[in-house]
Amino acid sequence: MTQFLLQTVWLIPCYAIAGAVVSILWSPALIRRTGPRPAGYLNLCMTILAFVHSLIAFPIAWQHPAQQLSVPWLQVAGLDLTLPLDISAITVGASLLVTGLNMLAQVYAIGYLEMDWGWSRFFAFLSLFEAGMCSLAFCNSLFFGFMILEILTLGTYLLVGTWFNQSLVVTGARDAFLTKRVGDLFLLMGVLAIYPLAGTWDFDQLAQWAETATVDPTIATLVGLALLAGPMGKCAQFPLHLWLDEAMEGPLPSTILRNSVVVATGAWVLIKLQPVLALSPVVLTVMITIGAVTAVGGTLIAIAQIDVKRALSYSVSAYMGLVFIAVGTGQTNAALLLILSHALAQGVLVTSTGSIVLNSITQDLTQLGGLGRRRPMSALCYLVGVAGLIGLPPLGGFWALLKLADGLWATHPWLVPVLLLVNGLTAFSMVREFGLIFAGSPKPMTERSPENFWLITLPMMVLMGLTLHLPLILQSLALLPSWATLNQEMAILLLWSSLTGIGIGAVVYVGQNISKPIQLPWKPLQTLFAYDLYTPQLYRSSIVFCVDWASRITDWFDRQIVDGAVNLVGLASLFSGEALKYSNSGQGQFYILTIALGLAAIALSMSWPLILH
Amino acid sequence: MQLQYFLILAAALFCIGIYGLINSRNAVRVLMSVELMLNAVNLNLMAFSNFLDPQTIKGQVFTVFVIAIAAAEAAIGLAIVLAIYRNRDTVDMEQFNLLKW
Repeated sequence: MTQFLLQTVWLIPCYAIAGAVVSILWSPALIRRTGPRPAGYLNLCMTILAFVHSLIAFPIAWQHPAQQLSVPWLQVAGLDLTLPLDISAITVGASLLVTGLNMLAQVYAIGYLEMDWGWSRFFAFLSLFEAGMCSLAFCNSLFFGFMILEILTLGTYLLVGTWFNQSLVVTGARDAFLTKRVGDLFLLMGVLAIYPLAGTWDFDQLAQWAETATVDPTIATLVGLALLAGPMGKCAQFPLHLWLDEAMEGPLPSTILRNSVVVATGAWVLIKLQPVLALSPVVLTVMITIGAVTAVGGTLIAIAQIDVKRALSYSVSAYMGLVFIAVGTGQTNAALLLILSHALAQGVLVTSTGSIVLNSITQDLTQLGGLGRRRPMSALCYLVGVAGLIGLPPLGGFWALLKLADGLWATHPWLVPVLLLVNGLTAFSMVREFGLIFAGSPKPMTERSPENFWLITLPMMVLMGLTLHLPLILQSLALLPSWATLNQEMAILLLWSSLTGIGIGAVVYVGQNISKPIQLPWKPLQTLFAYDLYTPQLYRSSIVFCVDWASRITDWFDRQIVDGAVNLVGLASLFSGEALKYSNSGQGQFYILTIALGLAAIALSMSWPLILH
Repeated sequence: MQLQYFLILAAALFCIGIYGLINSRNAVRVLMSVELMLNAVNLNLMAFSNFLDPQTIKGQVFTVFVIAIAAAEAAIGLAIVLAIYRNRDTVDMEQFNLLKW
């Protein structure tokens, strides 16, 4: 029975797909009488089923070595596309995380979308995401991984565009789709280029190939950069990060899922590709640079935001940047641990701020305030989320960051200050948000703000519990380092950076001695970060400008030159017809002349040889 | 006296006829030019009949037919010119260009 459950983990994505398909029935055009709620309940049931399945399969997978299943998909001349499934503790654990978070997000959504009629669509998309991420976790092939990433890109487009009557939603969904699509297309180039080199797309065999491969360094670099570009767009790394900011226009419950796990799909592929990327030192350097720049830039931008959701989304980019650093320095285990702790902590943060947004209406940090006393549960959850995210012992983020810092100190010591800086700045930005929402005196928008009802609060509290229990879970799985091997100097440094960030944040924002809003002495710097380094203008003046003008010119060329050339043929025959008709002069004598001339010409041409002789 | 001279004379007459046919503005002169051309043909027929076929003189028979038919054709041609003249009050060929493009 237990073996059977382990063998059938591939059913986990199928549950979600089934839920998504059936919930379409309750879209307003099909079942008109019952309202949309059954779609949500049904999807929740399917997700619980998938979660329970993963939960039972996880301990079994933990005891067993990794197993491989393969599903033949397509065999054509010379190409064997078989879908390999990898059933190991890590993949089942990933599906457990995805289904668990999706379950909580769906309970949250049942509460949050109380006043919304579009449940069928929304829950179908959520389930599509769950299915996609679970199948990405199990799928052991770069090719099928790419296919799933593409489906998830489409899913992001649809999910961000749920409330498509808002104009910012439409542009946000457009940018989310196009930006991620650009990355995915580069990834496709890499996927196609690696097949002639390695002869396989299976992650395991790619890793084996990479151990002994001797590839031209230029080719390895180019392929590696292409493979890097996909996760770069997926994980909202610089310079493909604007979409995550604009994706905050989507419904908040989907944000839980997106901020915690969807952005991690790119990191997952990156971790699996680490052996291939390690073939070229240039790629690793680029990866580390992108990660470091995003991590520092993201936190600085997050500090300057006044929108609750956007302040969180930039720290998601920053943490994915840390994952990039981890993968770039070869620490895949630290990266996985970081993804896990970040997913839970970010989940708590988004649920908590969502709970505030739902009945304070505004998302503007400058209009919120003084909620700590009347919203103790949300405030507590937010604090636990902050503690779980940054390096504050004994919670999960600390162990992940410590593991990363420990590894960095041995190989790339200059990255440790970056890590400490990002940690401190994240602590500052999180405490700033806490201070602006929960501390101080109530503002007009938060004069009367009741705590939310149980459907919102329950998932928030459960996530908080999970965040608090993460160290215990890790310890029971023997994933935490023992005291003997602990790099204590690094732990203390990490703790100090967190405490410094928290301390400054608390003094400036929780304490009431400094007047708000705070102005930096140098105003342009503040607006630079507040406007996200002017990335929209940057896009519009570079890529969008070029593509726009290239398409205008091509369009003009098509309309004028190509169409014109063809139309010219028609015009020429029209004109010649019009002109040549005047040879019908109506004069009988003229006709006789042409007959005589024609006859003379024929006679001349026939007798030409005779004349020449 | 050789065949070629007769043929060249006939050809010259035919060309004069063609010139008159194309260039005359008067419809009757056009008919007269047609007569010239027919006479050039008749000259040809007679010359060939004399020089190449003196025994059975088929050419002379043909000539008789051509003269007869030319007379009939001239009669019909004049009738047509008369019919047009009654309608349009002119015999100027340049006025008869109604059937153009």
